[in-house]
Amino acid sequence: MNRFGVVAIVVVVLALLATVPWIASPSIIQFGISTLLMAVLAQSWNIIGGYTGYASFGNSVFYGLGSYGVAIAMVQWNLPFGVGLAFGAVLALLFALLIGLPVLRLRGHYFAICTLALAEVMTAIVSNLEIAGRNTGLVLPLLRGDALFYELSLGLLALTTLTVAYIARSRFGFGLIAIRENEEAAAVMGVDTTRYKVAAFAISGFFTSLAGGIHAYWITFLDPVSAFDITLNVKMIIMAVFGGPGSIFGPVVGAFLLSAISEVLSTKISTLASLFFGFVIIVAVVFMPRGLADLGRRFRSVGWRYFAENVRRNRL
Amino acid sequence: MDLLWQVLVNGVLLGGLYALMALGLALVWGVLNIVNIAHGAFIMLGAYVCYYLFAGLGLDPFAALPLAMLALFVFGYVVQRYLLNLVIRAPMFNTLLITFGIDVVLTLLAQLAFSADFRTINPTYAGSNFMLGSATVPFVRVIAFGIAVGLTLLLWLFLTRARLGRAIRATAQNLVAARLYGVEPRRVYALTFALGAALAGAAGSLYGVVSQVNPYIGGSLTAKSFAIAIIGGLDSPLGVIVGGLFLGIVESLTSLYIGPTYSDVASFGILVLVLIFRPSGLLGRTA
Repeated sequence: MNRFGVVAIVVVVLALLATVPWIASPSIIQFGISTLLMAVLAQSWNIIGGYTGYASFGNSVFYGLGSYGVAIAMVQWNLPFGVGLAFGAVLALLFALLIGLPVLRLRGHYFAICTLALAEVMTAIVSNLEIAGRNTGLVLPLLRGDALFYELSLGLLALTTLTVAYIARSRFGFGLIAIRENEEAAAVMGVDTTRYKVAAFAISGFFTSLAGGIHAYWITFLDPVSAFDITLNVKMIIMAVFGGPGSIFGPVVGAFLLSAISEVLSTKISTLASLFFGFVIIVAVVFMPRGLADLGRRFRSVGWRYFAENVRRNRL
Repeated sequence: MDLLWQVLVNGVLLGGLYALMALGLALVWGVLNIVNIAHGAFIMLGAYVCYYLFAGLGLDPFAALPLAMLALFVFGYVVQRYLLNLVIRAPMFNTLLITFGIDVVLTLLAQLAFSADFRTINPTYAGSNFMLGSATVPFVRVIAFGIAVGLTLLLWLFLTRARLGRAIRATAQNLVAARLYGVEPRRVYALTFALGAALAGAAGSLYGVVSQVNPYIGGSLTAKSFAIAIIGGLDSPLGVIVGGLFLGIVESLTSLYIGPTYSDVASFGILVLVLIFRPSGLLGRTA
């Protein structure tokens, strides 16, 4: 498929998605908002985890900072929503710069675990802050406008994906991929690895915090445990990895697909939906470790042997 | 001063148990290069095995402990041999994800099978205690501490003296060279993972005696085990003991002087600092 075809399909899909609030039922719109925000999270994680190869478990910190930015600005200082979003984004960028510099020096497991620990620390710190409402959290003013939240989320997803598409073709993106494949070699080739990594972390954090801010105003309530929820971070990773980390549309497709299946299952039993997630992770890691995007590319030429090949490559 | 002494004693007793929890994780991490996120869930399963042997069959919890270890050993062997072995050569991130998937599945299956209620293993002598200086020391905690430290020392002896233990260490150091010397890595990996799970079973049994168990305790136990393994390094079980004691004492002191809500900040804050300044652990040479 040529580039024009891809752009045309994306525009048509976007236009179709944008009409949903006028034709669908309220519950579908609500499902749409949470799915779109989930896709934003998966796509943002894709920048640091998929392209740069740094498995961040700290993206839920950005999400929490974005949520609290909006909540604190609106509840404590009576500022408008837009200012709150900007405030949350500034918090996230500051966090990415200050924490990113020391933490991005770590590799592999150590980076993953360190970011995981940071998320725990942030939860505990925020639940002791007076301005953030301590353990009880904050209640935001109610705005009945699911259509507005839907379009905002859709716009944010489009913007995030556009950014990823731009990065993937830029010098910056090639630098990130080089870091993922071999960091020493990238440094030798003249990639300023520290600056690239921090920039990728910051961009990832920027979009994640905006999604958090929109979600906070939509739900109108947040407390430290739900705002910095690690399972949310894990969900974004699963969706990105299931769809195809390091590809432009993979994480979005993964988020849509998994959210839809999980929604169908959770109408029956909610435990079943979570159990399904667990099984999806296990099966996906064993049989399609490079995600749907790679499956789509290679399945046509290799066929069903694709799954056996993946197992053969990784087993002992 | 009396209070400080009591808190220190509590911290040391807690730390011994922490060390046993982290031991299996550190062993598997060091040898297989897998960070087993499901380790906490294994601990949880061990606690339930012990609980049902105690509540169902009336077995003394400390007599049920070896049975819980055996059950988890078999379970761990099967999980490694038939599931993790399929992805053992994949990038580290994939193995991390698959153990997370196992964690989710085990937690939810436990919730379906055992319900979400808190369970306590409560033998008749659970309430008895004695005085150590001015500190009150619960009897079961001392036994738990003794078993935890004893098992850690046994593991250390096994790894340094026994033939299989040496094969495990050789595999950890250099897989190719170990193979050339006749070590069968598939078997060593499965046995190591099974051993890690058995240690989790022991830790779970003791945890059930000194604390409460429900299906969701796994996550925070995994996180603590991480912290200890990193503070102590992956080289030797003795480093893990030091890491466990360190974390136990720091947590107890933080809840006394700063407040109980900050005890997690302290443990994870230390983890972050150690990672940044001494990535090979406070004591370790390489991790």
